[in-house]
Amino acid sequence: MNECEATGKTVDEAVEKALTSLGIKRNNAVIDIKEEPNQGLLGLLGGKDARVVVKPDKTPGNYIKAYVEDLLGFMNIDGKVIVSEDEEKLKAEIFGQDVGSLIGRRGKTLSDLQYLVSIIVRRQFRELKKMIVLDVENYRERREKTLIQLAKSVARRVAEEGIEKALEPMNPQERRVIHLALQDYPGVTTTSSGEEPNRKVVIVPR
Amino acid sequence: MKQLLEYIARALVDEPDRVDVQQIESDRLIILELRVAESDMGKVIGKQGRIAKAIRTVVNAAAVKENKKVVVEIVQ
Repeated sequence: MNECEATGKTVDEAVEKALTSLGIKRNNAVIDIKEEPNQGLLGLLGGKDARVVVKPDKTPGNYIKAYVEDLLGFMNIDGKVIVSEDEEKLKAEIFGQDVGSLIGRRGKTLSDLQYLVSIIVRRQFRELKKMIVLDVENYRERREKTLIQLAKSVARRVAEEGIEKALEPMNPQERRVIHLALQDYPGVTTTSSGEEPNRKVVIVPR
Repeated sequence: MKQLLEYIARALVDEPDRVDVQQIESDRLIILELRVAESDMGKVIGKQGRIAKAIRTVVNAAAVKENKKVVVEIVQ
């Protein structure tokens, strides 16, 4: 884990310098004061600067919470961040009144935000293997339910009519949801066709 | 907007001290010029510009509230 040592006329000044050079904020840092500043005799002789060592707060969970909260602050969005963790993933969920703009059209903003935050968290915790997931007002769960419903209703028509149908373009995670939802569906099979970002699931009669 | 972009960029690069953002604003448009150390250019652009695209999406999401369009220019 990276840490930064800095000096300054006051402890505050030294801490600010170290925070800037780490690119983190105070609510996200462990601050170790190595030396208090000393004015010296009449401020002339033997004055000593403050010296501090600052490092990012130790757990990825704390880090992601503070980082996302700060981002919301800079975006003027009033939201709450709840972090949970299991063996596979580190998840930060955002809840609030006006957080809809964080989802964007078909989840585009949310997926870009997740991509950025995940790079940023991994820079601080290089050994972290877990998937980093961001969610806004349970969007992912709601979207998954919608996709499963869509998959089943299209699959029923494909099985009845015997004509293959392509769904709208989706990202890899969404396509996976469709493939999984239909893996045991009688009378159809699924494939994908086209190039990203226009790759689509095709439901084919069997 | 400026602060948001600075906060994202600083967390992505190796030399956060050298992140600089200039904001140029008119009625409907905000132009943000992002400068980073040359060795950090790749870190704010990413493979096939994926990071730069994500930064633009997030900054624009923040601008919706202010009813403005934001253009992020990464300047050499």
